[in-house]
Amino acid sequence: MTLPTSASAIHVSRLSKTYFVPEREAGLKAALKSLVRRKTRAVKAVDHISFDIAPGAVVGFLGPNGAGKTTTLKMLSGLLYSTDGEARVLGHIPSRRERDFLRQITLVMGNRNQLQWDLPALDSFDLIRAIYRLPAADFTRARDEYVALLEVGPLVKKPVRNLSLGERMKMEIIGALLHQPKVLFLDEPTIGLDVTMQRRIRSFVAEYNRRYGATVLLTSHYMADVEALCKRVIVIHHGRILYDGDLSGLVEKFSAYKTIGVTLEDGTADLASYGAVVGNEAGKVSLRVPKTETAAITARLLADLPIADLTVEDPPIEDVIERVFAQGASEEQAA
Amino acid sequence: MSALLDYYWTNAKLSVIEQFQYPVANYFYMIGMIAEPVIYLVVWSTVARAQGGEVGGYTPGAFAAYYIVWTLVRNMNIVFTPYGWEWRIRTGQLSVSLLRPLHPLHSDISFFAGWKFVVIVLWLPLAAFLSLVFKPALNPTVLEIGVFFLAIWGAYLIRTMLLWLLGMLSFWTTRVSALFELYFALELLLSGRLVPLSLMPPWVQTLAGYLPFKWAFQFPIESLVGQLSPVELMAGLGMQVFWIAAGALVLQGVWRFAIRHYTAVGG
Amino acid sequence: MNLFRLAFIFFRVGALNELQYRVNFFIQLLQSLVALGVGLVGLGLVFSHTTDLNGWSRPELLAVMGVHILMGGLINTVIQPNMQRLLEEVREGTLDYALTKPEDAQVIVSVREFRIWKVVDVVMGMMVLLAAMLQLQARLGLWQALAFAVALLFGWAMIYAFWLMLTSTVFWFIRIDEMVNLFEGVYAAGRWPVSVYPDWLRTGLTFLVPVAFAVTVPAEALTGRLTWQTLLGAAALAVVLLILARWVWRTGLRRYSGASA
Repeated sequence: MTLPTSASAIHVSRLSKTYFVPEREAGLKAALKSLVRRKTRAVKAVDHISFDIAPGAVVGFLGPNGAGKTTTLKMLSGLLYSTDGEARVLGHIPSRRERDFLRQITLVMGNRNQLQWDLPALDSFDLIRAIYRLPAADFTRARDEYVALLEVGPLVKKPVRNLSLGERMKMEIIGALLHQPKVLFLDEPTIGLDVTMQRRIRSFVAEYNRRYGATVLLTSHYMADVEALCKRVIVIHHGRILYDGDLSGLVEKFSAYKTIGVTLEDGTADLASYGAVVGNEAGKVSLRVPKTETAAITARLLADLPIADLTVEDPPIEDVIERVFAQGASEEQAA
Repeated sequence: MSALLDYYWTNAKLSVIEQFQYPVANYFYMIGMIAEPVIYLVVWSTVARAQGGEVGGYTPGAFAAYYIVWTLVRNMNIVFTPYGWEWRIRTGQLSVSLLRPLHPLHSDISFFAGWKFVVIVLWLPLAAFLSLVFKPALNPTVLEIGVFFLAIWGAYLIRTMLLWLLGMLSFWTTRVSALFELYFALELLLSGRLVPLSLMPPWVQTLAGYLPFKWAFQFPIESLVGQLSPVELMAGLGMQVFWIAAGALVLQGVWRFAIRHYTAVGG
Repeated sequence: MNLFRLAFIFFRVGALNELQYRVNFFIQLLQSLVALGVGLVGLGLVFSHTTDLNGWSRPELLAVMGVHILMGGLINTVIQPNMQRLLEEVREGTLDYALTKPEDAQVIVSVREFRIWKVVDVVMGMMVLLAAMLQLQARLGLWQALAFAVALLFGWAMIYAFWLMLTSTVFWFIRIDEMVNLFEGVYAAGRWPVSVYPDWLRTGLTFLVPVAFAVTVPAEALTGRLTWQTLLGAAALAVVLLILARWVWRTGLRRYSGASA
C-alpha cells in the first residue's frame, strides 16, 4: 500500500546495495594478472526494493540466508550506505546518522551485545541512561516497567557473565528499549533461545508495540515469531521482494496444495489413487492434493471409504515459504 | 554539556568498579612493567658512576627519580591499543557503538580515565618500595606538583589521540602490525621513554621537539623531576594543549573518512 | 629416543602449517629488525657516554645482546607457545586430549607447538654474535665453542623448567596470565650482563628467574670469562630445576585429574 511519504514511519524507495567482490581464478597466471588488474564481480545484495511502513505497524521480514534482510536493516539503521535509491526513517536519512535519528531507533542483533560483561545489568542500564541523556524519572519508570514485564527483578543485580543465554537476551532487549525508541529493528531476536524464552520475548515486543505505538521491523527464521507478531509480511529473496502483504494472503497466493488428513474406521486402505501420500501417522494418512480439486477429492473419499475423521488443512507455512523461494529462484533463472 | 559530563562520570565510575574486581591482575601487570625502567635505571646509574658521578646532567639519584616517576607516567600513557581496532571491527562492536548518539572517543576516554584512578592508587605503594631501594633525588616545589598532576592527564589525552589515529588505519588494511611496530619504536626513542632526551644526540633532541611524543612522556616526568622554570612549565602545558587540540582535529577528519569507508563496505 | 621422535613430528606439522603464511615471515623479520635497531641504538647511546660498563666493553655487550636475542628466539619457538597452550587448555578443561595419548603427558605438552618464524630471531642473534666476535677479534677455540653450546643448552633447559613450573601453578591458581607477563619483563633484564644489577636483583635473576644462566653465562663462554665452576654450577642447577619442574608438573596433574595430592 502506498502512503504519502510523510506519513510513513519507514519509507523505502528503490533501495539497492551492490557489493563489488574481487574475483580471481585459481592458478599462478591468474594471480599475476590480478596484481595488475583487479577483476571484480558485482553482487546485488539488495536490488531496488520499495515499501512503506506505517507508524505502529509490526512487519515481518522473511527470507533465507543471504536474501538481503540484514543488509536492509543495516541500511535503515545507518550502518550501511546504499548504492541506489532512498530510505527515510521517521523523516531522517539514516546514513546521515544524526543524533536525533539515533535516539529514536534501536537495532537488536543476536550476537552483538552492549552490556558490560563483569557488571550487573543494572549498571549497564545506568550507562545507557547517560548515553541517551534520559531524564531520570522517565528512565527509572521505563526500566522498572520492562524488568517487571520480563520478570527479571532478582537477576538485574547479578553480573551479566553469570546469567544464562536466555536471561542475557532479556537484559539486552531491556537495554535496547530503555530510550523508548519509536522504531525497532530486530534481527533474529529469538535465535538460540528455548521455546519458553521465545514466547516471553515475543509477548514483550508485542506489549511494547501496544503500549508505545512503536514501529517494528523484524526478521526471523522462526515462523512462530512472524505468525505471533506480524500481520504483514515482506518476503525477500536474492535482494528482491517476492511478496508484500498479509500472512494469510501469502498462503493463499503461493500454495497450490492443501493437505487432507484421513482416518479410516477399519485399518488402512491404499489411498494413493486419491492423491500423493505424504504422511501416515497412527492411522491418520496425510494426502497432498491440488487446491482446486480439494472439494472433489474430499467428496470421493467420503463416498468410497468408511471415514472416521477427515480434515482439510493448509500446508505448513514453512513449506509455503520454501516454495516461494524456489519459485523466486526459478523466476530468476528464467529471467 | 552537563549531560556529557554525566556520561563521563558514569562510565568512569563503572570502569573503577570493574577494575577493583581485579586488583591482583593489575598489580602483576604493573610489576612486570617496572622491569623496563629498572633496567634502564641500573644501566645508566652504572654509566654515571663510571663517568665520575653524573652523565648528561643526571646523577644516579636523578636517574632514579626520573625512572620512578616514569612508571606512573607510563601507566597514564596506556590507552586503547591500536591492535584492538581490528577486533572492534571484526566482532561488530563498532556497529554497536555507531548506533549510539555518542562519539565512541568519549567512551574510550572516560573508560580509561576511570581505570587510571585505580592505577594511581595501586601505584603509590610500588613507588614507595622503589624509592626505598633506589633512593631518588626528588624535592619538587608546589608549582611543580600542580603542573605534574595536570601534565599526566595531558599526556593521557595526547596519547589517546595518537593511538586512535594509528588504530584507525585498521579500517583500510589488516596488515597494520608493521606500521604499529615502527611507530612504537620511534616513540620509544623520541619520547624520553628509553632515556631522558638530554642524553640523546643534539639532532635527535631537535627532532623530538617538533613531535608530540615527548609531551606525552618526557615533559610530565621533567615537570616533577627536572629543573624547569615556571615559564617553561606553563609553556609545556601549553604545548600539551596544542597537541591535544591538533590531534583531536586530525582525528575528527580521519574519523569521518573511516566511517564513510566502513559504512560503504559494511560490518 | 622417543622425545626426539615426538618433537620432530610436531615440528614438521607446525612448520608446514606456518609456512603457508609467508607474510608472517616478513612481519616477524620486521619486528626483529625493529627490536634489533632499538637495541643497537640503546647500546650506542650508552657507549656515546662511556667506554666501559662494569668491566664489559662494547663488543662484549654486543655479544650479550646477541645471546639475548638468540635465546629469546629459542624460547619463543618452542617454550613459550607450548606453555601458553598448556595454560589455555587447563583453563578450558581441554587438556584431557593430551592426557589420553599414549605418550608421557609432559613431553606432549612441551613439544607440540612450534613457531617456525621465530627462528628469524635465532638467526639474527647468531649474526649479531658473529659481528661481536669479529669486533673482539677473538679466536673461537673448539673448547670455547663447545662451552658456549653447552652453556646455552643448560640455560635453555633452566628456562624451560622455570616456565613449566610457573605454568603448572595454573593447576592451583586459575588466573596467572599476568604472572607470565612478568617473565617477559624480567627476561628483558637479560640484555645486560647481570653483574650490572645490584646484588639482590642479581640473585633474583640467577636463582629465581634463571636469566643469568640463560644469557650472561653463555656470553661469558664466548668472551673468555667463563670459569669451570660456573659451568658445573649451571649443569647442577639445570638438573635440579628439571627434576623440580617434573615434580611440580606431576603434582599439578594429579590435582587436575581429581586425585588427592
